[in-house]
Amino acid sequence: MDFYFGLAQLIGVHTLLGLSAYIVLLTGQVSLAQAGFFAVGAYAAGMLTVLAGWHLVPALGASALCGGALACAVGFPALRVKGLMLVIATLAFGEGVRLFFFNFDYQIAKGELKVGPVGGEGFRQIRFFPENGWETWEVMLFIWVFVAGAMALLWWFDRSRYGAVLRAVGEDELAAQSVGINLTAVKVSAMTVGGAIAGVGGGLYAHYTTHIEHASFNILLATFAIAYPIVGGLRSVYGTLLAVIFVQGILVEGLRFMGDWRNLLFGALIVLAMNLRPSGILGKGRHA
Amino acid sequence: MLDFLQAVSDGVLFGATYALIGIGFTLVFGVMHKINMAYAAASVGGAYAGLLVLQVMAGAPPWLVFLGAFLAGGVLGWMVYALCFHFIPLSNPLATLMSTVGMLLLIDEVIVHVTAGMPQNYPAMFDDVMLRAGEFSMRGDLLLVFAVSVLAMIGLLALLYRTSLGLATRAVSQQPVAAQLCGIRLVRVNALTFVVTGLLGGLAGAMIGASVGTLSPLLTTPLTVKGLIVTVIGGLGSIPGAILAGLLVGGFENVLQLYRGVTERDLYVMLLLFAFLTFRPGGLFAAKSGRD
Amino acid sequence: MLELRSLARHFGGVRAVDGLNLTVQDGQIFGLIGPNGSGKSTTVNVIAGLLPPTAGTILFRGEDIGPLPTHRRLRAGIARTFQNIRLFGQLSVWQNLWVAQNSAEDLARRGFFTRWLGGQSGVRDEIARLLEFSGLAHKQNELAANLAFGEQRRLELARALAARPKLLLLDEPAAGMNSEEVGQLRERILSLRGSGVTILLVEHVMELVMGVTDRIAVLNFGQKIAEGTPAEIQAHPAVRKAYLGGEAA
Repeated sequence: MDFYFGLAQLIGVHTLLGLSAYIVLLTGQVSLAQAGFFAVGAYAAGMLTVLAGWHLVPALGASALCGGALACAVGFPALRVKGLMLVIATLAFGEGVRLFFFNFDYQIAKGELKVGPVGGEGFRQIRFFPENGWETWEVMLFIWVFVAGAMALLWWFDRSRYGAVLRAVGEDELAAQSVGINLTAVKVSAMTVGGAIAGVGGGLYAHYTTHIEHASFNILLATFAIAYPIVGGLRSVYGTLLAVIFVQGILVEGLRFMGDWRNLLFGALIVLAMNLRPSGILGKGRHA
Repeated sequence: MLDFLQAVSDGVLFGATYALIGIGFTLVFGVMHKINMAYAAASVGGAYAGLLVLQVMAGAPPWLVFLGAFLAGGVLGWMVYALCFHFIPLSNPLATLMSTVGMLLLIDEVIVHVTAGMPQNYPAMFDDVMLRAGEFSMRGDLLLVFAVSVLAMIGLLALLYRTSLGLATRAVSQQPVAAQLCGIRLVRVNALTFVVTGLLGGLAGAMIGASVGTLSPLLTTPLTVKGLIVTVIGGLGSIPGAILAGLLVGGFENVLQLYRGVTERDLYVMLLLFAFLTFRPGGLFAAKSGRD
Repeated sequence: MLELRSLARHFGGVRAVDGLNLTVQDGQIFGLIGPNGSGKSTTVNVIAGLLPPTAGTILFRGEDIGPLPTHRRLRAGIARTFQNIRLFGQLSVWQNLWVAQNSAEDLARRGFFTRWLGGQSGVRDEIARLLEFSGLAHKQNELAANLAFGEQRRLELARALAARPKLLLLDEPAAGMNSEEVGQLRERILSLRGSGVTILLVEHVMELVMGVTDRIAVLNFGQKIAEGTPAEIQAHPAVRKAYLGGEAA
């Protein structure tokens, strides 16, 4: 049973990652920086619970703040460029974050052992859940409370005027400007919300794996982040959730019997999917 | 000061390979207005494929390996075109972006799978030669890398400006619709662009292998990012820009490697990109608008 | 209301607009005509802020709006339609009007949160009124992309009006319309007269321009070659020459 709880944890965290890319994609921006915000959230929450002894909930709040603030700060210069240039800029930013943590050492002595992130070795012993005696299913529930919260928030956005404005910008920036929409404000706000959601996702990820390292936050993770909403289509938040379940639950876990070849398949499947259904698997979808 | 000069010179020589990768990105962008995210991975893949020559013919001279990489790069370039572009509607920017990222991951995984993730030794030429001027020196293998890259660039420019294929390519990159009306077959030009950039990429991969001494799958992501950075700094679509930016990034990162160490240097390359994006978003050689 | 002083916009060596002086009075319906490539659309784009002028100033209600970014010009009271319709195709008709309510009054009326998230009854009434005006009430939940061509034109006009503009820039609103639709458009434009909106109408369809405007300026090669009432313009020799080439000379 624990296997399925573990899988549900993974799906929950990846859903948060996908949702963070979803809101940015609504404005027509393709961001490969989401893995970077996710990483910042992971390190921030981990350091707060392990080094500063915080409870996880406020630590996750701090993760959201860090992720959001960083996304906002990146948003201003990065959104000066459009389209493919933005893809490159965000990809480079994500790599930059990964390299930062590759070089990041901050250890303090705690009892007999030293704890904290150590460069290339990563950050071990993020043991908030085991120390407080949480069962796997409790951790899973805890994660899904946040997933549900993020989905509800974005679902509400979608029904509100803000959601319509986001989609209007994604449809046609020129027309959106001409009807009085402030492009910078809309894009940076979407980026900030996305960064905050990714930050929470990262914080949860750090605590259920208990060990994070720079290599986890690579281009593969950034690809997953944008692949979910693209595969699920941009019609609604449920598309992203279904895409995560489909990719992580069915493809990745379902193909476990293939052993090493499983990883090969992920890239091949993306290529194949794009050849067969260039507009996403669910529905016709809409394009930037 | 001498250390500094030495670092700049070594870096610029090695930067020629970045220039080649940057040219590959920029050429595809110029012709199709698309980014081929799989390009650097395919280049490394080509370099790996060059090693097959040693499997078939033990003790083959290094230049044969380089030739193998060059040709394999061309084949991979065509494969990337066929799998990631040919059947996908180009009006949909997300689709080709995703398909090429998928290809990047696939090539990466194939390499890891075939080599079991172990770095492979790569042959070099003139690695025992050292040009000296007092304390200052130039490594023979790096000089070869530089010379080969420059020759490849000259070959490419000759191809673009002296042949009918090159004329067609330039016509397509400037006015795709008009070029088609003049009887140029867009699909053929697109495919050939991928083959040509693939050849360059295979060569660049081999040169990187030769100057580093080993190839590892860990090369693909940094090379992708740096190639793209070179493309942006040079100005999307600009070949002279890519060349200059490649040498610039090569020199820049090697200087920072000297002062800040190998693990940190790439971080500063990213910062260099952000400086350009903020202050000169069109790059060194900005095209008309240069922002899209 | 609107005054252009030696406005110029060059594209490389091409002088699309070259030293244009123009004054549009409050409440006027002002026509801007000229052959293809004479700089009409460029003028609209410069006024709306999509293109920065190469030289010259744009005064709107006595203030220089040159430094204002596009979205602020709308807030200041300048709305527009596009020659090639640019709707938000995947939003519903109703939503297209909803996102366009960005006039200064609208922004002041809504607080921060209601501005982004709310929809008050006043907002809904106004949208209903616009839908009525453009005859799209029965299609309010349809996606804009699924509308017929004429309906899209009507929706775009309604979307521009949703910002309660003081100056409305219409860029070839009759392009591609049949004569019945042009007639309806004419009625619609005339019904706006007296509602306090000034209109700058760029158009090729003479039937429309001559029927609704108070005053007309003629552009050729980015310069004004004539200005006057519709009757004066129809009789003007330079205009006939520009339109008909050598024959009329």
